[in-house]
Amino acid sequence: MNKEMQDLAASSIKTALSAGADACRVGIDGQRFVQISYRQRKAENIKEASTRGLNIELYVNGRYSAQSTSDLRKDALKDFITNAVAMTRLLAEDPYRTLPDPKYYEGRSNADLKILDPDYASLTPDERHDIVRAVEDACLTAGGDKVVAVIAMGQDTRAESVLMASNGLEAYAAATSYFAGARCTVQDEGDRRPMGYNFQASVSRKGLPAPSEIGKAAAARALAMLGAKKIETATLPVIIENLAVPSVLEGLLEAMTGRNIQQKQSFLADKKGQKIASERLALIDDPLLAGGLGTQPFDADGFAAKKRTMIEAGVLKEFYVNWYYSRKLGWEPTTGSPSNLIITPGKRSVNEIMKDLGRGILVTGFIGGNSNSTTGDASIGIFGQLFENGEIAHAVSEMNIADNHLKFWQKLAEVANDPWVYDSNRTPSLVFTDVVVAGV
Amino acid sequence: MDSITRRSFLKTSATVAAAAIAASFPKAFVDLAHAETPGYFEREFGITDALSRRVLARAISKGGDYADLYFEHSVANYVILEDGKVNRAYCDVGLGVGIRTVKGDQVGYGFTQELNEKSMMAAAGTAASIASGSSGGPVGQFVDLKTENYYPIKTLLTSVPLESKLPIVQAVNDKCFSLSPLIVKVNAQFHDEQKRVLVVTSDGVKAEDLRPKNYLYASVVAEKDGKRERAGWNLGGRREFSYYTPEIVDEVSKAAVERAVVLFDAVQPPAGEMPVVLGPGVTGILLHEAIGHGMEADFNRKNMSTYSTMIGKKVAEPFVTIVDDATIPGGLGSLNVDDEGIPGQRTVLVENGILTSYMHDRISARHYSLASTGNGRRQSYQHYVQPRMRNTYMLAGPAAAADVIKSAGMGIYVEDVSNGEVRIGEGDFAFYVSQGRMIENGTLTAPIKDVNIMGNGPKMLQNVIMVADDFAFSQGGAGYCGKGGQMVPVGFGLPTILVKSLTVGGVKA
Repeated sequence: MNKEMQDLAASSIKTALSAGADACRVGIDGQRFVQISYRQRKAENIKEASTRGLNIELYVNGRYSAQSTSDLRKDALKDFITNAVAMTRLLAEDPYRTLPDPKYYEGRSNADLKILDPDYASLTPDERHDIVRAVEDACLTAGGDKVVAVIAMGQDTRAESVLMASNGLEAYAAATSYFAGARCTVQDEGDRRPMGYNFQASVSRKGLPAPSEIGKAAAARALAMLGAKKIETATLPVIIENLAVPSVLEGLLEAMTGRNIQQKQSFLADKKGQKIASERLALIDDPLLAGGLGTQPFDADGFAAKKRTMIEAGVLKEFYVNWYYSRKLGWEPTTGSPSNLIITPGKRSVNEIMKDLGRGILVTGFIGGNSNSTTGDASIGIFGQLFENGEIAHAVSEMNIADNHLKFWQKLAEVANDPWVYDSNRTPSLVFTDVVVAGV
Repeated sequence: MDSITRRSFLKTSATVAAAAIAASFPKAFVDLAHAETPGYFEREFGITDALSRRVLARAISKGGDYADLYFEHSVANYVILEDGKVNRAYCDVGLGVGIRTVKGDQVGYGFTQELNEKSMMAAAGTAASIASGSSGGPVGQFVDLKTENYYPIKTLLTSVPLESKLPIVQAVNDKCFSLSPLIVKVNAQFHDEQKRVLVVTSDGVKAEDLRPKNYLYASVVAEKDGKRERAGWNLGGRREFSYYTPEIVDEVSKAAVERAVVLFDAVQPPAGEMPVVLGPGVTGILLHEAIGHGMEADFNRKNMSTYSTMIGKKVAEPFVTIVDDATIPGGLGSLNVDDEGIPGQRTVLVENGILTSYMHDRISARHYSLASTGNGRRQSYQHYVQPRMRNTYMLAGPAAAADVIKSAGMGIYVEDVSNGEVRIGEGDFAFYVSQGRMIENGTLTAPIKDVNIMGNGPKMLQNVIMVADDFAFSQGGAGYCGKGGQMVPVGFGLPTILVKSLTVGGVKA
């Protein structure tokens, strides 16, 4: 517990209640971070700071507002909250706005979730620079004479939060995170300069790969894009690389929120219990995953976190419904937003799968595009590699995939064995068949 | 690189971007009589010249070439309607100072939310550490920068009572429902932000600015024969509150409803390469994204842009001129002064087809031995400066819009786009067409939807073969541009233009 943050939260609640609020919830976030980037073998940017912010949600006479501020001077804050309470009274009544039933606060995990690196405090400025220098060096070396620019970066953060509500919620969490990566730009024919990047994150320093591996991967991703061209429009198998999967998954998640369902902006609103994807898709939301970047013992409503099966064998099992929208919908609440998302991996590697498929496209990234949560229609630009006879043939860019989510996920033919673990989304590569890829 | 937080630990669904309907603001925040008097940060927070000099001296104490202080006090409000009632409001107050030390092209940065000498000196010490020599000496007197005012206001946004905003948002709801029986949901929002900044530099510039920003937004869901479509529209900029008249309410509502309802008749065009006509106004986003970013000087200084060897070269036909302009009255991207104390100005990027200038901040200007173009911007005191666009647009050309459409023959007409993205090094971009039409035999026909268009920025610019005389500046107030994890408001505009060929990602032909 951080006593100072806890006291600030408690006194803010007191101020709000004595100004006439019927209930309130306060969140206080604090973090300390150091961020370093290198270019041309010298530090390009060094940034370091501590921040603190207060959010307060006010429930006044059946009305609701939320405020946030970084001006935490005692008198300023007191006036700020008092005035906010007064102004909340001017809004229209909203019978669905209440603090959650406290029964949902119960059962919060006391387990050590391994999200606070015990070695954090011992990290020295020199070590921080060494990590980023090593990333840069490996990237420059691996990129060789094709390299025109490398920017290597590293960041470490220690974050703390307190969430407290006037109906008995008191929650605290602290976590660390480390982040390292590089962007590598290489010279192609003419004026084309493809850029590849690789960023990896972990809750502990030991959880990150060796800096040299991080840098090498960034260079490899840039070099792989040399000579990219588009091919003729065709119906092909498409493998979406593990790192790129969250962008596609987002289209489903958006339609799974209580807000979009209640606001008639979800193509999944009436699909609970139905098969919305091939039986190969299993999606788990696990806020209690030890060492996960999305691990959180409680959610934004203060609900005790629980592991949930969202999609099982292609069948939609759950939605993301927070307290407010659960009341509007008349449903049981779950949790408002994703934590660690895990797609259950398959057995074969991407290379083995490519050999089997013969010809297709390995999508390594997306550009632009849109996914419409109301209709499920999506259209998105892709780049990556064309493979032929099971081997990478050449890079492709300026191509596009358009489909409806309800059709697209039925085309999921296989899940690879390579979950990406350096993100809160632990997604393996996914294989889709019969996808129209638009090019020339 | 942005501050990468672990994830939104405690981000409540309520406090999206959120800030304050309320707040006890210093007098100058709510009282215009005090608003335009210089010295806001001195009066309210005790930031004297002497204090600034001490902090700057600390920032260059290890041999930095230059340092600046960026003070910010901002109040942003969101008043939101859902399910027929204005039943929520968010407010966010930001207060802090960012301290930057520059050594060559290296930057040290610290910031603090506490405007006292101890905290500022500590942040200055962090910034100073980018250099490793001896003192840069004392900092001299400051000269107050005098600038034009491109967004003068008679009433401070913070003095507009909530009671005045509520009926406007409610009126959008009522208007949308009255316009079509197909409408089943309306979300409406009024946003205003008032940002005060003070920039003090070690080379003696002291500049203050008061930046208003606001918009009125409507988003509607329509239902027909069991199908649903959603669309939205907004108007705004750096405006007076009095801008939001009943006519503006009508315009926002009408645009949102029409845009949703038309989608029921929309088709997907065939996929492949085809001529594309960009309609006037908001499609200027495409110019911003596909071409503008590649002309930001940092990408060129670091050899990351496809434009890094093209200054002085022909990049477009002679009837193409592109500018980036801080001086549009009320423009969302307008700036009296940029975030490193350089006056707002108009910069010609492409003149009659020739690439004439990049967009510079102080660091890139020094790299190229040029004067800064005033494009040094940052999201907030927590972020360091990058060269960023302001209001970016193409000037009108000689053709008539009808002739441009006719010349396209078979292709698509783009009225509105979103979700643009560019890969700076290749210049490849992709955009989602949210509103548009088919062009068949030189005539506008069926509406289109759910289409991505892709191309290459430099190639597209060369392929602009007609420019019409109907230039329009986008009147939106919600245009944000993201770069390096920082969001800043930007404006854009375009006349009707014909691009010879782009890839349209529709259905299989």
